[in-house]
Amino acid sequence: MTDIQETVKPFRIAVFADFVCPYSYLAVEQIDRLSREYGIQPIWRPHWLHPETPPEGVPRECSADADARVERRNAWMKEMAPEQFERMRFPDKRQYSFRAFEALEFAYDCGLDFAYAAALYDLMWTQGRDIGETGTLLAAAEQSSLDPAGLKTALDEHLYAQRAFDAVHQAREVGIMNTPTIYLGRTRINGWTYYEVLQSVMEKQGLRPREAVTN
Amino acid sequence: MHHCYVVDAANAPWKRSASEGITFACQVLLSGEDGGPEAMRFRFDDCPSVYAHMHLTSQFQLLLKGCMDFPRGVKHLEALAIHYTDHNMPYGPFAVSGGHEMLVLHPRAGGILSMANLEARRRINLTGRLFASLAADAEWQPLPGVDDARYKLLMPPDFGPAAVVAQVPAHAALAMPAPVYGRYEVVLEGSVIMAGQEIGPPGFRYVHGEQAAEPLMTGASGASVAFMSFDADAQEGGITGEGLAVEAAAAMARAI
Repeated sequence: MTDIQETVKPFRIAVFADFVCPYSYLAVEQIDRLSREYGIQPIWRPHWLHPETPPEGVPRECSADADARVERRNAWMKEMAPEQFERMRFPDKRQYSFRAFEALEFAYDCGLDFAYAAALYDLMWTQGRDIGETGTLLAAAEQSSLDPAGLKTALDEHLYAQRAFDAVHQAREVGIMNTPTIYLGRTRINGWTYYEVLQSVMEKQGLRPREAVTN
Repeated sequence: MHHCYVVDAANAPWKRSASEGITFACQVLLSGEDGGPEAMRFRFDDCPSVYAHMHLTSQFQLLLKGCMDFPRGVKHLEALAIHYTDHNMPYGPFAVSGGHEMLVLHPRAGGILSMANLEARRRINLTGRLFASLAADAEWQPLPGVDDARYKLLMPPDFGPAAVVAQVPAHAALAMPAPVYGRYEVVLEGSVIMAGQEIGPPGFRYVHGEQAAEPLMTGASGASVAFMSFDADAQEGGITGEGLAVEAAAAMARAI
């Protein structure tokens, strides 16, 4: 007898994002809430926004135009995510993402990619840490129950560099253009959106919150 | 059935108003109260963050003066520019500066809903389209059949809704296809004869019907005209008797 459950592809939540993107940071809490509400473990994948950034990072542009852009971005964030905006610390340089992507691959193999990503975003965007530094990557490992010693070895020996590179390449191949790009089952959402939109997309594909199913 | 509205913006009164703390001056050029089109002209005071919102109908915004900046997505617009959204498609927050002035053009009354409204967020058009472009980014092309006339496309020809600017010398006829889903024809420079009246910027005609409308005739010094045509999305949404739509209509009425 055929079990229909085996013929249906499992519903997946996948997020393509870069740690240096503040809008992706805003998505972390949403995806965390969504995964708890619907009982689905998300997958966090890299999309490298600025591959031209050197390992030491790039200082922020100083100009009237840049200041105006920052003011507009802050106004946007303050309206769209006021609670998170109050906690956020914006770095004074564009940080280097690739070693964080290597660490993300290591976390993925341990089934902790989302937990690790959430910890790393928090360190960068609320504690002002630099994700280009090994110490930050290891601190996120500790916070997400990942083995820091194992991660350090993996980073020192570049065990996940090729995989991280391939993942970045794959994101480009599937046409990721901006961050966060969120896949909810068959639906792709380009850029940050309201939590209620994520809920609507889930429900249009027949998913119900766990609480509703239980009741 | 053919519908035609001609509006001379010079004759409409200005009113100072505010919405959610955003201050502006406004002219109501077409009220939409007869079930027909709704059009307004706004001059926003400089503001770093006009709140995110949506309308319940398709919308063209024609930026006539100043700038609009969207930190996410379409980025920086400066006049002359257009910003199109399908019904229930949110946009913003955005900044306005530089002596802002724009026309807001709907095929029917569209109301306004702040995206702070959680119920409104659940009504977002998940397949909604948003498009924006600057006239300065488009190339002029010769307009066939009219000497010394040229045009530029502000939206891709296969997008659905269409926007084109034509620059035409004096006493020339401008014929367009039938405006099946409705079309705004806005005078940007010079003057145009519409239904026997000479209309200057930013006056306009709105036409809607299965038959081609009477061609526009340019005045003595020629004209630049923006043609903005809706597609089938213009038939969606609108102010129904349903709760959120009533709220949207009331919010727009308060704002203007």
